Amino acid sequence: MPATQRDTRRRNKTARIRRASSLAQGKIVSHEKTADLLRAIIEPGDILCLEGDNQKQADFLAGQLASLDANDLRDLHLVMSCITLPSHIELFKRGVVRQVDFCYAGPQGNAVAELLAEGKFPIGAIHTYNELYARYYLDLTPRVALIAAAKADRDGNLFLAANTEDTPAIVEPTAFYDGVVIAQVDEIVDSIPRVDIPSDQVDFVIGAPYPMHLTALFTRDPAAITDVQILMAMIAIKGIYQKYEVASLNHGVGFNTSAIELLLPTYGEELGLKGKICKYWMVNPLPTMIPAIESGWVETVFSVGGEVGMERYTAARPDIYFTGRDGSFHSNRAMGQLAGHYAIDMFVGASLQVDVHGNSSTVSKNRITGFGGAPNMGCQPTGRRHPSAAWLKVGREAKPGPGALPGRKLVVQMVETFQTGRVPTFVESLDAQDPGIKAAMHGVAPVMIYGDDVTHVVTEEGIANLAACRNDEERTAAIRGVAGYTPVGLARSKADTEALRERGIIQLPEDLGVSPARANRSLLAAQEIKDLVRWSGGLYDPPAKFVDW
Amino acid sequence: METFQQTFPSKSLAWPPAKSWALAGVVGSGNLEVLIEPDPSSPGGVGFSVESSIPGYKDSWLAALEDFADHYAVGGTKITIHDQGAAPVVIKMRLRQALDLLISPTP
Repeated sequence: MPATQRDTRRRNKTARIRRASSLAQGKIVSHEKTADLLRAIIEPGDILCLEGDNQKQADFLAGQLASLDANDLRDLHLVMSCITLPSHIELFKRGVVRQVDFCYAGPQGNAVAELLAEGKFPIGAIHTYNELYARYYLDLTPRVALIAAAKADRDGNLFLAANTEDTPAIVEPTAFYDGVVIAQVDEIVDSIPRVDIPSDQVDFVIGAPYPMHLTALFTRDPAAITDVQILMAMIAIKGIYQKYEVASLNHGVGFNTSAIELLLPTYGEELGLKGKICKYWMVNPLPTMIPAIESGWVETVFSVGGEVGMERYTAARPDIYFTGRDGSFHSNRAMGQLAGHYAIDMFVGASLQVDVHGNSSTVSKNRITGFGGAPNMGCQPTGRRHPSAAWLKVGREAKPGPGALPGRKLVVQMVETFQTGRVPTFVESLDAQDPGIKAAMHGVAPVMIYGDDVTHVVTEEGIANLAACRNDEERTAAIRGVAGYTPVGLARSKADTEALRERGIIQLPEDLGVSPARANRSLLAAQEIKDLVRWSGGLYDPPAKFVDW
Repeated sequence: METFQQTFPSKSLAWPPAKSWALAGVVGSGNLEVLIEPDPSSPGGVGFSVESSIPGYKDSWLAALEDFADHYAVGGTKITIHDQGAAPVVIKMRLRQALDLLISPTP
């Protein structure tokens, strides 16, 4: 081993901590001294992790970081789950970022596309969450991690409350490879409810002047669910959930899956499916699941994050949700994503664009959003070895062969044929194939879910079973067959569509015994947010923007 | 505002239907009303009468209506549509709903 590679990182960490020692009392640093602390700790060229995902943000630290002089911050290699805040964008505008490796840029998607066009957004790669966490243990271990917690005690033990999310996945590799962990906390107290991150792994704690930013990302108001979404939900329940006996699953954030959740206690009950399907969930604490939970449909729910307003409800249902010794809700993004990758029968997602091969993307020329966690769940985990009824059933339908997997995960794309403003969802070629975007991504188009992984496409027209197609031509014909009056749909051949329908690869509502006339809002177990509060026995506290009474 | 009438061939509706008429949807922004009634005078065809608040989509309408007439057995009915800018997905669903209501014995 060369002499230079023994303990350089450890000695470097000691030097950094020494530079900052005058700013801290023990591990506690006053929030007024945050900028000084960051100046003392961060060195040019650092791999710096800024905690923030689609819900929880180390926003005070991000703001302080962006306020530093450009001379104090040079050549940063940012690693972060989500580019969400204006202060994140500010770092790129100031030109202090040498490279960025991230997962998702939802709310800043337009700003990212602009920066990219100006050559100010040096992408290393866009990842799924678990992919990026995995690299924290290999080639992207942070030198400095800026994280967020709900509470700290005076030794620096951290309590993460409902929103554990990414924190352990960031802290562990950083702390165990001589990086510096700096936490902003909402409150410093004598005793915390439970220890989520031990003080051993934390170097500095700052009591932020305001609570961390939290977004209620997964709250869907039942009042906004349309009859078309209800029809699609009925089609999906009969044609997929019932057919494959889906026991374990993940739902995305869209209204389509909210409609399904709200039909379980009504339509699902009528079909006699209670106790047979939808028992084990890897999903955030969705308010629209309250009626199904209260009706006894659900065994367990494990979550990658919390949901604002669901704290009291989840704490009161420890048979369903995972909770700590203090009784409150617990989440973990890395472990939830692992469950979503390997252990579920079905992933249901939505997308802005689906091409004729079944590839999908949420990227458009003016908006770069990235991936988040969907592709990690919306894919075939070829390392899976344990069977389930659904997994084996799709496996039997899918392409046979001596080297084929015996089973498959159901990967379902549930989309209306048109987005709002009559923009077709189905396209011949994805915007993600734009040469400029591909070039910035080192030649790889940002496809969210690959067509080869998708087993079913559900639209208001019906179901296309892609897993049962025997070749690429059939798959394209099946997609055109449910693409409605989009240009992709209008290019279908009637004969092809009818042939696929005879083989059961395309199924229309009448083939499934779904009555379109029943597709109306009276079939929902809850019509509005207030109904969800009622179902929860008053335990759900919806955020103010959802309250109109 | 755009109005037009068009008849398309269609296989005969199973006779007699459960009801003497059926209505799906309402006239409201982004929505439409579809009224379907038996019309024994033309058993091999369906007569559409469309009134839409948004002009300029006649070709798309005719394509969708012809498709509906071809796919479903609605010969011997007339269908009256009042549209207020419904998306194609809603139009197709309301047509299916109206037919479903007409032939279903339950309300």
